[in-house]
Amino acid sequence: MDRTVIRAIALASICAVAPMGAAAHQLTVFATTDCEMVTVEAKFSNGNPVMLADVRVLDGNNTLLLTLPINEDGTVAVPLDSVDHSGGLVIEVDTGSHENYWIVTPDDIARSCQS
Amino acid sequence: MPLLRPLLAVVMILLAASPVAAQDRPRVVAVNYALQYFAERLVGDTAEVIFPVPQDVDPSFWRPSIADISTIQSADLILLNGAGFATWVDRVSLPRAKVANTTAAIEDRFIRTESITHSHGDGDEHSHEGLASYTWLDPMLAIAQAEAIASAITARGIAPEDEVANRLAALRTDLEGLDTQATRAFAGMQDIAMIATHPRYQYLARRYDLSLTSLEWEAGAMPTDAERAELVALVAQTGAQVLIWEAEPPADAFAIAANLGLANIVFPTLAHGVEEGDYMQAVAAALTAMSDASPQ
Repeated sequence: MDRTVIRAIALASICAVAPMGAAAHQLTVFATTDCEMVTVEAKFSNGNPVMLADVRVLDGNNTLLLTLPINEDGTVAVPLDSVDHSGGLVIEVDTGSHENYWIVTPDDIARSCQS
Repeated sequence: MPLLRPLLAVVMILLAASPVAAQDRPRVVAVNYALQYFAERLVGDTAEVIFPVPQDVDPSFWRPSIADISTIQSADLILLNGAGFATWVDRVSLPRAKVANTTAAIEDRFIRTESITHSHGDGDEHSHEGLASYTWLDPMLAIAQAEAIASAITARGIAPEDEVANRLAALRTDLEGLDTQATRAFAGMQDIAMIATHPRYQYLARRYDLSLTSLEWEAGAMPTDAERAELVALVAQTGAQVLIWEAEPPADAFAIAANLGLANIVFPTLAHGVEEGDYMQAVAAALTAMSDASPQ
């Protein structure tokens, strides 16, 4: 087979199925804590805020503590006194078609209380 | 008793030299085995290098626990691969002062890829650009990553600079040796179409000018009927003569490929460690198998 054809097929294959860092998570989730609450922000990779999603809050044993609807601006606040955060928290955002998470460790929370 | 004091001194020295010393060593965390191997070569015994991903989990898509992240956050140095490898690094807070991106200096050599087009709700259809992640499979990029690790180690005082420099020189020599071996192994194979069971080898293919098409098979698994049909079609389409496996599959899988006229080559990607030997031995063995399969 002609080498150019082989290369074209190979290139097309790479483009179609290669493992991709950015493409693997088209939903971006970010969370910060200020000692009183965890503020969760979720965006699609095109920059648009997520307007409809469930935000699940889990503890260090992956036990579901709380489920909240996300606000229309793609954010939601989780008051720390509403959950047992001693073992850290996992924040999952699920739009139905996309899902991603953010991990908040006990150290993250402790540091936010020192600053 | 005259012998008591020397005996006690020996016992104290032995106690000080073993477990306690091990706990006191600086800790380095790596996001894949390749980086762990390079770091271990560079630090010797002066630091503990940890690769925390379980053997049965793909390190690219590992989801760590909170305890895992707490351990990683407390390390003295966190070695990232960059190029989008290890999605978890974008889902946690990592202390910036401890993080070293080992491909920061070679981003202009990344291979860009594109995913399947889709849409979000009412949005227009679009696709996401991504990056091929297995940079270290090009030995020249592996050297650049080893140099970045060496700089990060010395900048943080984890190991003496002169010792790290000597070890880096030895590692560079070994990786250059692999490059020489690979150049010989792939000589004359540029016109031979190859298929890989997983799209991991983009940097290897670019370095040695290979014509490589990729499938999306699970590493080390027996291909399904649909996957076999896909392979048959791809062989017919490309005229491929070589099938590169990420991990050794059941013997029947080798037989299926051999019946299609394909030479079976197991080429570990080294994102995880290998059962026998180390990084250098694994790549050298794969290259020897490639040489044996060469029509020359």
